Amino acid sequence: MKCEHIAELLPDYLQGRLSREQDQNVEAHLEQCADCSEEVVIWRELSLLPVDQPGPESRARFEAMLQAYQEGRSNQPADDSHPRKLASAWNWNVLHWLRSPVGAMAWSAALLAIGVFAGLRLAAPKPPSPDLAAMQSELTSMKQLVVLSMLQQQSASARLEGVTWSTREQQLDPQVLSALLHTLRHDASVDVRLAALDALSRHGRQPQVHKGIMDSLQQDQSPLVQVALIDLMLEWRDHDAAHRLQELEQTPNLNPTVRQRVEWARSKLN
Amino acid sequence: MLQVRDGAGETLGVLFDRYQAPLFNFYSKMTGDRALSEDLVQEVFLRILKYRQSYRPGTPFRAWIYQVARNARIDHFRKFPPQTALESEMLPPVIPTDSAQEQQEVELLQRALGQLPEEKREILLLCRFQELKYEEIAALLGCELNTVRTRIHRALQDLRKAFHQLAQGTMLKKDEAAGSIPPQGGRHEV
Repeated sequence: MKCEHIAELLPDYLQGRLSREQDQNVEAHLEQCADCSEEVVIWRELSLLPVDQPGPESRARFEAMLQAYQEGRSNQPADDSHPRKLASAWNWNVLHWLRSPVGAMAWSAALLAIGVFAGLRLAAPKPPSPDLAAMQSELTSMKQLVVLSMLQQQSASARLEGVTWSTREQQLDPQVLSALLHTLRHDASVDVRLAALDALSRHGRQPQVHKGIMDSLQQDQSPLVQVALIDLMLEWRDHDAAHRLQELEQTPNLNPTVRQRVEWARSKLN
Repeated sequence: MLQVRDGAGETLGVLFDRYQAPLFNFYSKMTGDRALSEDLVQEVFLRILKYRQSYRPGTPFRAWIYQVARNARIDHFRKFPPQTALESEMLPPVIPTDSAQEQQEVELLQRALGQLPEEKREILLLCRFQELKYEEIAALLGCELNTVRTRIHRALQDLRKAFHQLAQGTMLKKDEAAGSIPPQGGRHEV
């Protein structure tokens, strides 16, 4: 038997999935072929590689993430007339209820009501009633409160989730923007800082955000974040950006990748 | 998993205890970065919470969680392309084994695995460490069963070649080191 034939059988041989006869054929080949038998040895030696174990704090992070998620969900406002039931979205009974005939009827009625409401709004576009506007603004501020609380969580995943939440809103309160800027400058996790930069870049026209992002270019020590900041400034293409990039380039001991990026960005700007 | 899907958040803790170590090992061997691997494990469980309704009863949970894990890693690197290749310095230390030679071989094997292209490293990890069946891997990667067999074999061939190159390099270094030692007392002769 040649190596090409063995190639088809070897993966199954390694998992002990061959018939006895095929098994014997493979073994006969392995005795003669150094390359194939070495592959089998390497496969077996792979089991000697150390199994990497997560750190002890991993479980605590998970608990914090679960708690933040559940709090985030129970604080999450929803446009439904049954806030009590939504707050306990974990509850299996809701699904049961929705599947029951009464639930199905209520569901259909709700859909019909939504349809009629949407139809009326589309047919006669009018400015939203003050009540509706007030409700919408309340929903927005509640969501933003959730963002603020998540940005202060211990766990990086929860903070990351907070940043992601913030991107769901078109307009952000100055308070949320400054919390995001704070995250961009001071968060311990590079991932969270990068996500904050991504979220803030949507609001780059606001002077507070613009200046905050510019200022963090000199402060951030992570090459990843610095490169992301340089790219954003290149996108902005304003005078201040060119000036800040020049300043950065003159910084002694700059990471070589960052230096390369800033040189490239300045060449694009000129 | 059905309990998690239907809302019992606490049950997720049981799944976390069962899967966090294998997932961490998978990420750690894929990326060589402990901190990132821990973040990705957390991300997997966050995604399970978010997308638990997409889990279909009757499908193997193990395959589903690896699908989530794979997507989490792909999304991460799409957003933040890796700045450095997997370096052996980033890999965890090899636990001393019985003989020095075996230990050296395991170290070389670990480095060789790190040198493989990502998709080859991934398929070997999935079948050798995560112990997924070929059928599960085929479903995960969206390919035919025979393609999985071919890919495993090619990955193993490449691993053997990478291992050999490293082993030869190590021997050369040893020879050079042995050759560069000055004769005893030679430097101090006046």
